[in-house]
Amino acid sequence: MPELAQTDATIRKPKIDLKMYGPAIALVILCIIGFSLNTAFLSEGNITNLLTRSAFIGIIAVGATFVITAGGIDLSVGSMAAAIAGIMIILMNALVDILGTGVLTVAVGAGCAVLLGALAGLANGLLTTKGKIEAFIVTLGTMGIFRSLVTYFADGGTLSLNFDIRGTYRPVYYDSLIGVPIPVWVFIIVAISGWFLMNRTTFGRYCTAIGSNEHVAQYSAINVNKIKTWTYVIQGLCVALATVIYVPRLGSASSSTGVLWELEAIAAVIIGGTVLKGGYGRIGGTILGALILTTIGNILNFTDLISNYLNGTMQGLIIIIAVWLQRADWGKSKD
Amino acid sequence: MQFGKIIAAGLISALAFAGAATAQDTIKIGVSYPTPTHAWAAGMNWHAEQAEARLEALYPDVDLILINSPDPAAQASALEDLVSIHGIDALVVLPFESEPLTDPVLNVKDSGALITVVDRGLSQPGIEDIYVAGNNPELGRISAQYMMTRLETGDNIVILRGIPTIIDNERFDAFMAEIEGSGINVLDHKHANWNRDDGFEVMQDFLSRFPDIDAVWAQDDDIAIGVVAALEQADRAGDGMFVVGGAGMKETIRGIMDGNELVPVDVLYPPSMIATAMDVTVAAFKSNGPVAGRYILGATLITQENAESFYFPDSPF
Amino acid sequence: MVVESPMASDGLLCADSLSKSFGTVPVLFSVSFSLRAGEVHALIGENGAGKSTLMKIMSGFHNPTSGRIIYDGKPVTLPPNGGAEALGIVLIHQELNLSEQMTVTENIFLGREIAKHGILDRPAMTARVVQLLADVGLNISPDTRISELSIAQKQMVEIAKAMSRNARVLIMDEPTAVLTEAETNILFKQVNRLRDQGVAIMFVSHKLHEVKEISDRVTVLRDGQWIGTSATSDLNLDDMARMMVGRELSDLYPPVNEPNVDADIALTVNGLHTKNITDISFELRRGEILGFSGLVGSGRTEVFEAVCGLTPMQAGTITTFGNEIRFASVAQARDAGIVYLTKDRKGRGLLLNEGMQTNLTLLALPQFANRLMLDRKKEAFALTRAVRRFDIRARDPNVRAKDMSGGNQQKLLLAKVMEADPKIVIIDEPTRGIDVGTKQQIYHFIAALAAEGVSIVVISSDMPEIIGISHRVIIMREGQIAGTVSGRDINETQIVRYAAGLNEETIHA
Repeated sequence: MPELAQTDATIRKPKIDLKMYGPAIALVILCIIGFSLNTAFLSEGNITNLLTRSAFIGIIAVGATFVITAGGIDLSVGSMAAAIAGIMIILMNALVDILGTGVLTVAVGAGCAVLLGALAGLANGLLTTKGKIEAFIVTLGTMGIFRSLVTYFADGGTLSLNFDIRGTYRPVYYDSLIGVPIPVWVFIIVAISGWFLMNRTTFGRYCTAIGSNEHVAQYSAINVNKIKTWTYVIQGLCVALATVIYVPRLGSASSSTGVLWELEAIAAVIIGGTVLKGGYGRIGGTILGALILTTIGNILNFTDLISNYLNGTMQGLIIIIAVWLQRADWGKSKD
Repeated sequence: MQFGKIIAAGLISALAFAGAATAQDTIKIGVSYPTPTHAWAAGMNWHAEQAEARLEALYPDVDLILINSPDPAAQASALEDLVSIHGIDALVVLPFESEPLTDPVLNVKDSGALITVVDRGLSQPGIEDIYVAGNNPELGRISAQYMMTRLETGDNIVILRGIPTIIDNERFDAFMAEIEGSGINVLDHKHANWNRDDGFEVMQDFLSRFPDIDAVWAQDDDIAIGVVAALEQADRAGDGMFVVGGAGMKETIRGIMDGNELVPVDVLYPPSMIATAMDVTVAAFKSNGPVAGRYILGATLITQENAESFYFPDSPF
Repeated sequence: MVVESPMASDGLLCADSLSKSFGTVPVLFSVSFSLRAGEVHALIGENGAGKSTLMKIMSGFHNPTSGRIIYDGKPVTLPPNGGAEALGIVLIHQELNLSEQMTVTENIFLGREIAKHGILDRPAMTARVVQLLADVGLNISPDTRISELSIAQKQMVEIAKAMSRNARVLIMDEPTAVLTEAETNILFKQVNRLRDQGVAIMFVSHKLHEVKEISDRVTVLRDGQWIGTSATSDLNLDDMARMMVGRELSDLYPPVNEPNVDADIALTVNGLHTKNITDISFELRRGEILGFSGLVGSGRTEVFEAVCGLTPMQAGTITTFGNEIRFASVAQARDAGIVYLTKDRKGRGLLLNEGMQTNLTLLALPQFANRLMLDRKKEAFALTRAVRRFDIRARDPNVRAKDMSGGNQQKLLLAKVMEADPKIVIIDEPTRGIDVGTKQQIYHFIAALAAEGVSIVVISSDMPEIIGISHRVIIMREGQIAGTVSGRDINETQIVRYAAGLNEETIHA
């Protein structure tokens, strides 16, 4: 179990490492602060809003956890989301004339989005592995490409989903199943699948091994390029899923869609305890990281104690504190 | 076109411009503005292209050269090219940022060209011969006045602001000054960055936080779209609730024409101001009257009655 | 055998009754040690005996839990993190401590650059480094990046760096572990020169014949206890080994069975070419232990990296059990029953931040998975089995690989490749940096595997090892096979003659 392997064997203390709970502690503290500012913070409506909102970044961050664990990075996710959203809207608008405004149009649109995500991820992965270009540069490049594509498709403006199809598609964002909004269900399913993939399969083990030491992985009969490429494909699929539940929210996409999502996703991953240089990934932590990021924004909207102009300061401080909670040597007597 | 109507103030200079056209056969006018990356700018781009076609058809000896630039440095280079390659007689410019573009525009002026500045002023006064801009404080004031016609003492509103900038401050300060003493409570104001997603999330949080909201000033049509989605999700779009945006997005105006009760009005901050500026600049060469001066466009309140004249279905905005 | 008093405090640098615990685990019990100016004092003991800890305390990298350090007759508290270098006490770490992306000169002067008014005096530093490199017999440019050097060359740069610090006390943690005989001789020449200049040298090695050759006195540690200190001339190699392990070590090498010349051919390599090796042809029989000897850089490792699909082949054929194959990846080689056990345990062998179980099953992971899903019970069972079979000793089953001793790491690596159930095992430097007790165990594992019918290739720079366990030895020189010896011809003279190019083999014609 990677979690146990991470504990320091020379310390004969209980196996539970307090640091593991850094992100959870940070989230609990944030919730207490939120509740003390306004009891409506813990109202059902607000909790639902929070979880639904976290779903986009959370789903993308689950994919990013694989990329980062295997020693890569993907900066293109925000732009990729915008491009996929744009193409999906154009496609669905065009399909209305052929397939009508029913579920079929939405299904075809969503299916194409998933396909596009996988292809975009595959492109990132192949350029990184076969092309032997640093992931940072490849995805910086595709970031610009995807972003300008959506600007081009929208003629600089906004792409809007046909009003007739919105009625069909709207429930994907706004409806609930057993009291839980559909985006949250998607988030839960992605999180559980991601956790399983990371911790219980050969693929997850290979990601960890590659991020930990690519040479050792290669000498251990692991197809390093294939596994790394797959992490980018998974990332692309996660972006596509997030986009499929994002579009029905406002039914539009523009060049400002998904701006800075890549940094939020990476921040969520790192806050959650995954190591930026690879070799150790925690899906559970990533979920908490995404919730923390959303909660910060939510709390800032719940108070007028802090100047609007200092929002960025508060976000930055809380991110740093959350990571510190997890990294600092809590009373460990290291030699 | 409604240019005559929306010119609220024009300080007319006594200087008449002798047409530089005497020096050559065609009048070359450079038009420089940022590459559209959001809907309002895309609308501006569309209006500029429309005006180009219309003016060139009207005056065969006028040549308009449209260039858009992705950042301030690129715009500065574009201005140099307009002088050195095209040898322009006049420049219509919407500066990316005031500070970095003041000197480049000054250089164009030194080449002898007529300068028209649009929307964002330069950081040094007196460079431009013609200035065409929307009226940000007026947008805030008009919005506030409309709110006061619909609300009573003790009613609650929330405000969603734009990106923290001078433009946002001017609108917000004028709104607050106008509404003062009316007895309308401003529960809180947060930045939604002229962005639909932020508008949606900020409004969701306002709705969780404040059980009693009577109206929303969203200041911008994009924010308003997010606000409306949040209101509908929370089932709080009824009971006389209304949202006031701003700018003049075609979908919003279409809604006003159709009698939308949730967004009954809009306050104009028109992307077509670039076309106004191009018209005025051409007029400086063609008109026999004096043209140089400041043209501040009114922040007209768009209602169901007058909406049709602000509706451009082909524009992207 | 004369055992001196451990309390002797006549040295330049003395440890007086040092004890050390990490957390609750004691590793050193009241150990005393004296290091005199102008002597080479060897410190020997099995892995885990406390040698590294003692060295680190005596160079300031650890603080003792109790006891004193006496330097120049006065009790001192050494400054931490290498600060003791300013006092003239230099430790050369076993894990080389060089910045890979910087040049030789930059490394040697790191932290004490020669500068005038803050501007680096590069010519002065380069001139000094040229001199130092000449002293250690290293023929490289001072502007070479460390990453371009072999491990042996890096080691020599470390030694040059220490010599540049005008050390009064030089503490060396297994400096010869990665050196060839020739390089070791150059090192010993430098050590002798420094001793003659009055430098006190503390020297850790597992190679007892080197200890015998170079040292004046020997101190033995076992399980954190001081066992004895003697003049080297009073001890023979068996005495040292006995003191280290506390028991008789008569059979370091297992008896070599007669090779079965009629056994099937497991592996045939014919006319193999890669970038650096040419025309390599040999056969390996079932149950045979085939030694590969030669100088570092003679291409031994590259032959087998090419066989296993790690380096591209330019020409040649490889046949296993009658089938001609060419592996594109390690996975294909593994599936065909060929595994390669790297000499670079830490860089290519083990995931240092992972535990034993993750490392153990990594090579053969598909066997531990049902479709994609890992069978964790099966993994746990494999660990229990491997720990028993290879006698891997860890304080805690969750210990990270980097916290294990070198010997246990090597056993874990051996266990890891054996999980793939190979028919052919290629072991590169099987006992580098490993204590004599573990060495003996590993030799017996190798012999037992061969007896079970596994074919084994041992690549080694350790001459006694190659001679002690191989049925047949191939000697490489400059990317080619220089000769093959078997039976009674496997002796040091023959091998050295081939390695040095003195014997010309006739079969090449």
